[in-house]
Amino acid sequence: MSRPANRADWADDEEFDDPSALPPQQVTTNKDGTKTVVSYRFNDDGKKVKVTRRIKTTVVREQVNPQVAERRSWDKFGLEKGHAAGPSFDTTSVGENIAFRPSVNWKVQAAEEEKAGGEKGSMKDQLKDKKVKCRICSGEHFTARCPFKDTMAPIDEPTAGGDAGAEEPAAGGLGATSGSYVPPHLRKGAAAGGEKMAGKYEKDDLATLRVTNVSELAEEQELRDLFERFGRVTRVFLARDRETQRAKGFAFISFADRDDAARACDKMDGFGYRHLILRVEFAKRS
Amino acid sequence: MRPILLSGHERSLNQIKFNRDGDLLFSVAKDKIVCAWWSANGERLGTYNGHQGAIWTVDVSPNTVLLATGSADNTVRLWNVKSGECVKVWDFPTAVKRVEFSPDGSRLLAVTEKRMGFLGTIAVLDIAYGNGQGGNLEAQAEEPTLKITCTEAKATVAGWSYLGKFIIAGHEDGSVSQYDSKTGDQVENVQAHEFDHQINDIQFSADRTYFITASKDKTAKLMSTRNLAILKTYVSDTPLNSATITPKKEYVILGGGQAAMDVTTTSARQGKFEARFYHKIFEDEIGRVRGHFGPLNTVGVHPKGTAYASGGEDGYVRVHHFDKPYFDFLYEVEREQLKR
Repeated sequence: MSRPANRADWADDEEFDDPSALPPQQVTTNKDGTKTVVSYRFNDDGKKVKVTRRIKTTVVREQVNPQVAERRSWDKFGLEKGHAAGPSFDTTSVGENIAFRPSVNWKVQAAEEEKAGGEKGSMKDQLKDKKVKCRICSGEHFTARCPFKDTMAPIDEPTAGGDAGAEEPAAGGLGATSGSYVPPHLRKGAAAGGEKMAGKYEKDDLATLRVTNVSELAEEQELRDLFERFGRVTRVFLARDRETQRAKGFAFISFADRDDAARACDKMDGFGYRHLILRVEFAKRS
Repeated sequence: MRPILLSGHERSLNQIKFNRDGDLLFSVAKDKIVCAWWSANGERLGTYNGHQGAIWTVDVSPNTVLLATGSADNTVRLWNVKSGECVKVWDFPTAVKRVEFSPDGSRLLAVTEKRMGFLGTIAVLDIAYGNGQGGNLEAQAEEPTLKITCTEAKATVAGWSYLGKFIIAGHEDGSVSQYDSKTGDQVENVQAHEFDHQINDIQFSADRTYFITASKDKTAKLMSTRNLAILKTYVSDTPLNSATITPKKEYVILGGGQAAMDVTTTSARQGKFEARFYHKIFEDEIGRVRGHFGPLNTVGVHPKGTAYASGGEDGYVRVHHFDKPYFDFLYEVEREQLKR
């Protein structure tokens, strides 16, 4: 794309007023010592792209012994021979940030995390105090094992299992209400099955609180401390202004458990924090 | 901390090594090149080309003038660190699994494989440094000055004790032995790990008075160099390939994971492809660092204790510069001690 633009080839006619010429790079120095570099380039599709970069330069001075300093001036060799100084993209990249904080009871924490993350643990918890109940006679056996199986029709009571409540029969049996076929994803209670696809993000959303009217001086750690009393907090997001690094006045708190979130929502709504009264509600899914 | 990913190798890593100042990092893998990296930013300084087979081991001389590598092409090669030229090739009858410079840099040991009727040996070579300005490095002794033959179980790894007085070797059968580095006589032999569980790595503390072994039997042991007494045992839940002792903080880092052949049948989560941090004194596991897609074959720590690097079966080297929580972490008893 960087071919000379003033070539008067007939095929280039339409480019004649020169859209291929890129505006020059602009460098402005900001008040806080950072630099803003605005440059233009073409992307792979041949479209013009404006790239704005803000660069903060910090000079780190380090004392090293003379040998190390001498080595810094070495030329590259082997496969790297002749390459420019600085890391090259094909061999060196920067990975995702890893939070590493050593702790004595690391194992316990890890186990907890496992429990929260793994489907198995939570499912077990759900089913812990569930009892088998027959749909025909409400006895403590499976419906298929019911002695009255052949003689009685199911009682017209919608509940089948403990906590799933009224939604249960639709998930299990086909819609008993009308004769027409109901596709699985439209059946009541089938939503749970569909939700699995989205994985934990979906689940996360359900236990996320939106906190507004947060002080400008708020800190993520403080918020975490405030909310941690109600249960395990998996994520704290405090919106900050890019320029000033001050809080913008709202934050999202994700809990591992929805019940904890509900409790926190209840208790923390109207809580006075840093001379402002917090407003806490469940985050709406966007 | 943000790891720096170094992807200069096409195959699984075999060993990584920081030089004594910690500014350079050398890595060798099953492909035929040796890479040198700046540890601060992950820039590749260069490669050393010449080997014909997988490279099993690398070590750099204390003054960062010479680099030694041992390879499956049955040679030990000596390189000029600065220019990348090969200055010397020693031929051996079998593959070389481990090389290490003595603390003063005047000798080099090479552990050779037991194969094709040849017994495993530890050969010691004298190393000269030319005129001191990086010239005439080619003048090296032709023949090893010492050859220790391991008649019972072959040595898999070896290293030098303090002052180069002993050679400490880890064996295939899980034992650790101490040889006199002058005469080559075996002074002591201790069954440190479970029988028939190979020792995969030995790394020394800064003063070389103690060292850590990593074994297939899922444990790492801290042992005294002088009498091979087992000082500490770190128990993990996976076969260990490498272990190192961190300076500055009292930790050890263990690297391991399932054997490469079992990896495809397990997910990355179960595979335990993490660097494990244990407290050196209390023997507790204090944290793990994730990131690799395969078992960790080698871990190395910056001599100043500010960073560590790990090389995995996945072909990546990950360099981690520690951040504040790492240095701040103290046990309750340590904190009380400090207050006094």
